[in-house]
Amino acid sequence: MAQIEVNQLCKTFRVPEREGGFRASLRSLWRRTYRDVRAVDHVSFTVEEGEIVGFLGPNGAGKTTTLKMLSGLLHPTSGEARVLGSVPWRREADYLRRMSMLMGQRSQLVWDLPAMDSFLVQAAVYGIPKDVYQKTLNELIELLDIGGVLKKQVRTLSLGERMKCEICISLLHRPAVLFLDEPTIGVDITMQARIREFIANYNRRHGATIILTSHYMADVTALCKRIIVIDHGRLLFDGALSELSARLAPFKVITIDLDHEVDGYDFAAMGHLLTRADRKVVIRVPKGQAAAITTRLLSDLPVLDLNIQDPPIEDVIARAFGERRGEGEMGARAAEAAGQLEEIGFPNPEGLGHPEALSHPDTVSHPDDGFSAGMDDRGSQP
Amino acid sequence: MMRVLRAFAAYHRAGVQTMFQYRAEIVLWAIWGLVNPAVLYAMWSSAAESNPDHTAAGFSRGEFAAYYFVLMIVGHLAAAWDAYEMGYLIRTGQLSSLLLRPLLPIWKAIADNLSYKVATLLFVVPMWFVFAWVVRPEFKAAWWQLGLGAVALVFGAILNFMLGYLVSLVAFWATKLDAMGEVYFGLGMFLGGRFAPLEALPRPVYWIAACLPFRWMFAFPSELLMGRTATVAEAVAGLAIQAAWILGVIAAFKVCWAVALKHYTAVSG
Repeated sequence: MAQIEVNQLCKTFRVPEREGGFRASLRSLWRRTYRDVRAVDHVSFTVEEGEIVGFLGPNGAGKTTTLKMLSGLLHPTSGEARVLGSVPWRREADYLRRMSMLMGQRSQLVWDLPAMDSFLVQAAVYGIPKDVYQKTLNELIELLDIGGVLKKQVRTLSLGERMKCEICISLLHRPAVLFLDEPTIGVDITMQARIREFIANYNRRHGATIILTSHYMADVTALCKRIIVIDHGRLLFDGALSELSARLAPFKVITIDLDHEVDGYDFAAMGHLLTRADRKVVIRVPKGQAAAITTRLLSDLPVLDLNIQDPPIEDVIARAFGERRGEGEMGARAAEAAGQLEEIGFPNPEGLGHPEALSHPDTVSHPDDGFSAGMDDRGSQP
Repeated sequence: MMRVLRAFAAYHRAGVQTMFQYRAEIVLWAIWGLVNPAVLYAMWSSAAESNPDHTAAGFSRGEFAAYYFVLMIVGHLAAAWDAYEMGYLIRTGQLSSLLLRPLLPIWKAIADNLSYKVATLLFVVPMWFVFAWVVRPEFKAAWWQLGLGAVALVFGAILNFMLGYLVSLVAFWATKLDAMGEVYFGLGMFLGGRFAPLEALPRPVYWIAACLPFRWMFAFPSELLMGRTATVAEAVAGLAIQAAWILGVIAAFKVCWAVALKHYTAVSG
């Protein structure tokens, strides 16, 4: 049964803008200019009970805006959505009691008090019966391993400790639907792994429906069988993670360790040379030619070790978005992007083939384009 | 309703505990609440003393002492600062965290307001006694005036809080609201009789003050508590006006809150 149903959801923001500089600042005193920014553009999808869905896209793609609409924080400009049978932005108390949204950069904890005090407030606000509260709290303390930090003032906690307490407070009322907006942001790798493990565990134990956004692809690959890709507010892909990888990555990455330096060998003729350092060479080759190229490399070169891998999913997606936005004028980019996406098996989203689809004045501009964190190294690592 | 009250009580407890974390700040706020009326008392009492009949605007020195002593208490118990607060909550994204909960954020604001007053009482009450001991206020309030004055004080506090919260909703459009908070606070000081008793103001300003809500937040409860409101009918009429303002502001809040939420952009969280 679908727990989340989204139909043609749109959100447009009206944002002030001006040129840089003092003169423009002075002019804006009496004359403001605004621009309509379409953050979410006719997005539709459904999520079944107990599913964990990864919501991916570059910065400013519209992921968080969509989640904010589904959690009742924002009213949409148009479109419909139902979560647990309720229209989220009507903000009915019964709905708010059954869902939770964890925003990695926002705190629900009382900064000046020990976390335990915030939990007590949360229990009262959500009307959690005492026995249920105690049982859930014990379970969460055990799963998150936060027994030692509950008496510490929140402002004295480390980022990882605080994040675990944030997760705890978000789940005290055992929400049936959970929106996780970058739940592992800023925490170290070990902590990320623990949080991932916890989310999977919570999903298994309580059958919760979860939508997860993260800049760490490891979160998505570890937790989500299905992903939704969004960019410029438009839904670009909705399907299995494996399917996305196969569609977007019709190539393999070959890593070679050479016994000694080889001068003059034309690696670029074999495929796309990604890196070459000392005696280590990394090239990307079309999937269909991987075997033949490997044979040739083995016969041509003094190979010590050879490794053939699928490219990491973050590189794959980053490449798709990066190339789509990277260079050239807007119109050319749009046409090229549409072509590329079709070429690699992406369903061409409505209108994407038209240059104005990407250069539309109503679409979001992305000053800090691209995936951050793990995605920044695209192309340099296999 | 029980659920709301339990949640409110939990917010209130957390608010008091938070205040207790910052003891020095509580003392400073308590001093701030003392300084303003004390300075104004000093100014007006010397004006009264310098006049041949030893009065100013119909107040003797002892009556000024009583007026500013009562105003000190009313000012503390009816204090509200949400006209400043909402912009901050929106800018920092904290409002989003509150909106995700199944309880209107205003309940937390009320609980925080009460928490401040409860937590600071420990420090301000001794200061009030010291002030009274120094300035020797002259009271002529009867028991009925004290009783109705206490009700007027509660009504004044509700009105100040609700109107401040209503004004704070401008932050959903303007985002930064510090100046609006200052204007609201300034109007409360001037037209609420905190700078000077309203009787000392020019007649047109006096009548403007009577038509605006600020008088009913501070001046009316103070006048009633110090015994300057002469008749029961006058006092009851004042209470009715306060009640009407409160109901009007609550109705306006309900409408404006719904509109503000539709306009909310949650840009910072």
